[in-house]
Amino acid sequence: MRAEQLNAILRKLSATSGEVEAAAIISTDGLVMASYVPEGIDDDRLGAMSAAMLSLGERAALELGRGELEQVLVKGKKGFIILVHAGPDAVLTVLTSQTARLGLIFLDVKRTAAEVARLI
Amino acid sequence: MHHKILFSGPVGAGKTTAIAAISDVTPVVTEARARDRTRLMKPHTTVAMDYGVMELEGGDKVHLYGTPGQPRFDFMWEILAEGGLGIILLIDNSAADAMYRLRHFLDAFDEVIRRTSLVVGITKMDLAPTPTLADYSERLEQAGIRAPVLEVDARSADDVALLIEALLYTIDPGLDAGDPRAETAQ
Ligand SMILES: Nc1nc2c(ncn2[C@@H]2O[C@H](COP(=O)(O)OP(=O)(O)OP(=O)(O)O)[C@@H](O)[C@H]2O)c(=O)[nH]1
Ligand SMILES: [Mg+2]
Repeated sequence: MRAEQLNAILRKLSATSGEVEAAAIISTDGLVMASYVPEGIDDDRLGAMSAAMLSLGERAALELGRGELEQVLVKGKKGFIILVHAGPDAVLTVLTSQTARLGLIFLDVKRTAAEVARLI
Repeated sequence: MHHKILFSGPVGAGKTTAIAAISDVTPVVTEARARDRTRLMKPHTTVAMDYGVMELEGGDKVHLYGTPGQPRFDFMWEILAEGGLGIILLIDNSAADAMYRLRHFLDAFDEVIRRTSLVVGITKMDLAPTPTLADYSERLEQAGIRAPVLEVDARSADDVALLIEALLYTIDPGLDAGDPRAETAQ
């Protein structure tokens, strides 16, 4: 089952770093395909917000001359939100703690997105 | 002067189409391929917002924002409604539950509607003649709202211009918006 494979990929991502608190794979129109999220986060909400932010990020990057979108990064006082494309029709969203070492996480996120893209 | 107007309403009502029809510039769109039931109706759906601009005869600019229609994106409704002069609700008359959808959007935008102005545009009346405009007016009255209800085709720039004129007139009866299309029509 594809959903199981996607879930396994997300579990692997969260296992490589304790700083990853949640991760989800979402269709570009905001439907959750697989998610690994703690209590207290509504994954339908996470899905819709991810699709909206990725889409706006994509338009802004192109229209303001920054080229094709590579990632959207949001920094809050309690941590980061990282959004990347996982193939043309899906989004990978990762929530981290505020102590996350971004360089390492970016690598993991990129590798995970590529893995997801191959699967869907 | 800058004005901001919001287009909202259910999936497929024609919000993205209307803004594209009337905007003086290529609109900003955030369309994604539809994976849910929407795809039975159309291939793409708005996930964040539409944005276009229209210049009025006197040089005033109207900024046009469109919301996504799907309830899962309702957080964008609030964000986009901020600072708007008024709201244009588009309703797809060919949807089986068109009346119910109107109610849903009246409820969702209740605060904005009471604070600003509302115009309702009924689309796709060429595909479904009922409910009628009178049916919608009656429903609005029941909700205690007075607002113009117009039949429009979202693909027609003239029809969309009429909606905007009606809204600007509702906001300020003394305001002479002129024909918003006058410049581009020449
Ligand atoms: N026949 C007919 N088609 C119309 C009319 N108005 C709009 N349409 C069509 O209806 C569709 C509306 O699609 P969109 O503009 O994407 O709808 P939307 O309201 O932006 O939908 P979401 O963003 O998914 O919520 C388009 O294919 C239009 O061509 C009308 O009056 N008659
Ligand atoms: Mg749209």
